[in-house]
Amino acid sequence: MEDLAPKIIFWVFAALMLGSALIVVAGKNLVRSAFALLATFFSVAAFYVMLGADFLAGAQVLVYVGGILTLILFGVMLTNRIYSLELNTPRFQVVPGALVSAAIFMILVTVVRVTPWKQASIVEEGPTTARIGQALMNQYVLPFEVASVLLLIALLGAAMLVRRRTDL
Amino acid sequence: MDRLDAVSSLKYFVPELVLVLTLIGVLLCDLISKNRAPMERRLLIVLPSLFGLLVALFFSVSIYFSASGPDPSDAQALFSNMVAFDGFGSLLRILFIFTAIIILLFTIESRELRSVHHGELLVLLLTVTVALIWMANSINLLMIYLALETVSVASYIMVGYLKTDRLSNEASLKYILFGAVSTGTMLFGLSLLYGLTGSLDLYEIRAALMSEQVVASSGPALMVIIVLVLAGIGFKTATVPFHFWCPDVYTGAPTPVTAFLSVGPKVAGFAVLVRFFYGGMASSTGEQTWTMVGSVDWQTILMGISIITMTLGNIAALLQTNLKRLFAYSSIAHAGYIMMGAVALSDRGIKAMLAYVVVYLFMNLGAFLVIIVVHNNTGSFDIKDYAGIWRRSPMLTIVMGIFLFSLMGIPPFAGFLAKWYVFAAVIQAGLVWLAVIGVLNSAIGAFYYVKILKTMFMEGSDTAEPSSKLELHPLYAVLLFVLVVPNIVGLLLWGYLDRVTEYSHKLLDVM
Amino acid sequence: MGLQRPALEAKISNLLSIPVVAGAAGALVVFALLPQIAELIREQLSANLSPTMAKLAATAIGVGAVVFLITQLPIFLIWWERKIAAHIQDRLGPMRVGWHGVLQSFADGMKLLFKEDIIADGADRFLFKLAPFLVVMGVFSAFAVLPWADGLVISDLNIGVLYVIAITSFGAIGILMAGWASNNKYALYGGMRSAAQMVSYEIPTAIIILSVVVQVGSLNLQDIIAAQQGGFGDFQNWFIFRAWGLNVIGFVSFFICGLAETNRNPFDIPEAESELVAGYHTEYSGMRFALFFLAEYGAMFFVAGVAVVLFLGGWSGPVFSGPLVFFLKILAIVFVQMWIRWTLPRLRVDQMMALCWKYLIPIAFVVLMGAAVLQVSGG
Repeated sequence: MEDLAPKIIFWVFAALMLGSALIVVAGKNLVRSAFALLATFFSVAAFYVMLGADFLAGAQVLVYVGGILTLILFGVMLTNRIYSLELNTPRFQVVPGALVSAAIFMILVTVVRVTPWKQASIVEEGPTTARIGQALMNQYVLPFEVASVLLLIALLGAAMLVRRRTDL
Repeated sequence: MDRLDAVSSLKYFVPELVLVLTLIGVLLCDLISKNRAPMERRLLIVLPSLFGLLVALFFSVSIYFSASGPDPSDAQALFSNMVAFDGFGSLLRILFIFTAIIILLFTIESRELRSVHHGELLVLLLTVTVALIWMANSINLLMIYLALETVSVASYIMVGYLKTDRLSNEASLKYILFGAVSTGTMLFGLSLLYGLTGSLDLYEIRAALMSEQVVASSGPALMVIIVLVLAGIGFKTATVPFHFWCPDVYTGAPTPVTAFLSVGPKVAGFAVLVRFFYGGMASSTGEQTWTMVGSVDWQTILMGISIITMTLGNIAALLQTNLKRLFAYSSIAHAGYIMMGAVALSDRGIKAMLAYVVVYLFMNLGAFLVIIVVHNNTGSFDIKDYAGIWRRSPMLTIVMGIFLFSLMGIPPFAGFLAKWYVFAAVIQAGLVWLAVIGVLNSAIGAFYYVKILKTMFMEGSDTAEPSSKLELHPLYAVLLFVLVVPNIVGLLLWGYLDRVTEYSHKLLDVM
Repeated sequence: MGLQRPALEAKISNLLSIPVVAGAAGALVVFALLPQIAELIREQLSANLSPTMAKLAATAIGVGAVVFLITQLPIFLIWWERKIAAHIQDRLGPMRVGWHGVLQSFADGMKLLFKEDIIADGADRFLFKLAPFLVVMGVFSAFAVLPWADGLVISDLNIGVLYVIAITSFGAIGILMAGWASNNKYALYGGMRSAAQMVSYEIPTAIIILSVVVQVGSLNLQDIIAAQQGGFGDFQNWFIFRAWGLNVIGFVSFFICGLAETNRNPFDIPEAESELVAGYHTEYSGMRFALFFLAEYGAMFFVAGVAVVLFLGGWSGPVFSGPLVFFLKILAIVFVQMWIRWTLPRLRVDQMMALCWKYLIPIAFVVLMGAAVLQVSGG
């Protein structure tokens, strides 16, 4: 039973993730799609937990659920007819889209099956926060700083977009 | 070659540091000068930007031409194998900073940008410049992605900088949508590559791809990876089939920004192409040629893209009536020519790409400057409004003619040199027919360039419009001179260009 | 004063108050003896079950105990708040139901339970039903990492603090969901305001928390408390008394952010009754409304708990240590929260945003930088 439990948890979250992702993509109601993202993000966090990446799981929930999802909801609610419950997304070209998706899916499945993927050596269990911090400050210090420049510029762009014309 | 940690890398990183400090400084200058008069405020942000760029240019030039010259033994992998320090990247660094200086000067007197505040535009310009340098020097998938994303985000904002202009907004939105999809696609490809090789480092990836077990059965995966990664690179270089954004964005963006997009991100995209394929998927044979690693013939893929890109670009350009749009297609065609260098799989091919880029920078920016000058006077980008420019400003027409002939690749001008380099590299690699296609394409290209000239010279003499002189701001006159001289002396510069690009094929090589 | 209570009714309600007051007193005793009780349970479990099952059962009991606590606590907190409000306003507050009104909350709770469960016409029924659970889940899950004593915590996570910041964001989503699904403009405004507020104040909160984390070098709440043990009177090492007053600024900022995160006055604009009827829970009634109420008081208690853990030594000190001390410290903070609610007027939306973005966030960054500098120079 103790071997079975992780498997059950895995499949439950996998089903939750894929099911909610499907709603996000195919759902007609835009706000419901946005709320369905909650389950998707949360399931991804659960996967991180199962992989032993505790810090990443926390950051995933914090950033995606706490930040991005809230912003998406704001965006959806503020940019559409705000009182209307019928925020529907029209669907275009369902059949060609489905065919292309199916083709890509088949290709990817084939690739996944035939490719000799690199097997990661079993990593040691335990807290990852300190190791992540050290990696960021040593080996990955340049990407870390580049990311901060990226964020600075994104902030600048956001501020520019919302600024009134009179402030130019 | 060494693998340097962060602290010992810093001394090879001076130009980038200067640029980052400048961009923060300009941002602050912009803030503290908020209540000053517009002119004074503009000076307060333009001068520091210019100063920072010049300092960075000084350092990069002195790095490139330092006594020994970057030979392979000088090459370094900085910041624990994140970016390379080598001849290829050092030359590109100079080019990017130089381009940024030219564009900065473009923005000052442009009519389109007259009504808006320049502060953020210059900060964005500086950011893109430093990110382009990172992009061209990345040897790590993570860095490639981050640098590319920084360039993209800043470019989106620059394209949409005219907030009250519908075309500018539309262009920005199209650029964002297209960019988001293609970077996402590329990221997916990179993640597959990581799964296949277990590393983000391009040279470790190459080592992993060379192992027999991987070579035997990784064909489909590698194929998918290359296609996905090419989506990201193709977006930046505006090569077919990822060029759709190009005409609309070039038309909608403020012209100085368009000029920048047609050089900066495009060139950096080719740099990433070279870093990715020559660093991660090819190994040097030691005799100035390269062999592909792994089981996918990416040379053929690049060749196909190159042919389709230049043909489609040239043919579509024939039909354009808007000059900015025409130059969008023209720049697509030129991307096809540049890519021929990457197809050659030789040191000479890489060198040809950079030589092409050096010349392309001068002729393309020059042509855009003429467009800006004409727009400042007529407020139009339509080719038909160029009728009779000859009578209004003969000098400008002659200068434009030089740029256009150079873009065509007509012998006395520098454009010929560029084409010669590329075609020679391809022929030497045994791909004579590819060179033939290139020459044919140049012939098609000549049509629409000549069409512009024809309009400027011949037509419009019967219009009743008073032939007022075109006003040319002294700053733009100087800039035109700077840009046109290398184009005129073209062939005389041959030896010099050869010397400038002498180290450009020296890629960092870690085995 | 014309109304005199019938003598019999007064007698009955006073008699009924006895078990309630006794229960409250008993709860305090249980709190005091919690470590011993937990130890006993743990021994029993490990004697009778396999290690994995014992751990599972212990967690289940812990969760049960905490859920019991959070669901019962509002009964007391609501009565207490009404009393505080009344006394601040020079009134007596509930006096009729039970001795000094201690049974008032029971009566109200009973009323809520039996109320009709209404779902407004045109509401998104599924999301409408889901929202209260999401809000409650965000609060309840957060309690999992709150340490009550040495070794007495449901889940001793290494990323405890990060978990706290992350999981509470479910509340914001739940409130947005409630506001939108109600198909009512007041509810929607309330939901949007609330979410905007929570998302904004999450930033200074997280940064202040980070300033403490910098001083400890761990995200684990138990480690944070362990770092504050010892010293004079067992309170000298509390973070609020360290770093030359820097942490006092941190504590005050955190407290303010805590008020905003729990939508408490002066930051109660999401449910500002004079503008928005009742904000995001305008359309809710009965048990679903009770869940929002539960979540609000649970969140108050939890935020106070985190403040105590971060700055006031958690379960350790002054002089005594243990769950009871922790509980009383939290109640003290909760008292201040209520005090402020009945003293300060409500902020306007723009004032609230300005306070966050223009004052609290810069202050938080200064505190973080200061803490980092002190840490680097000190060690």
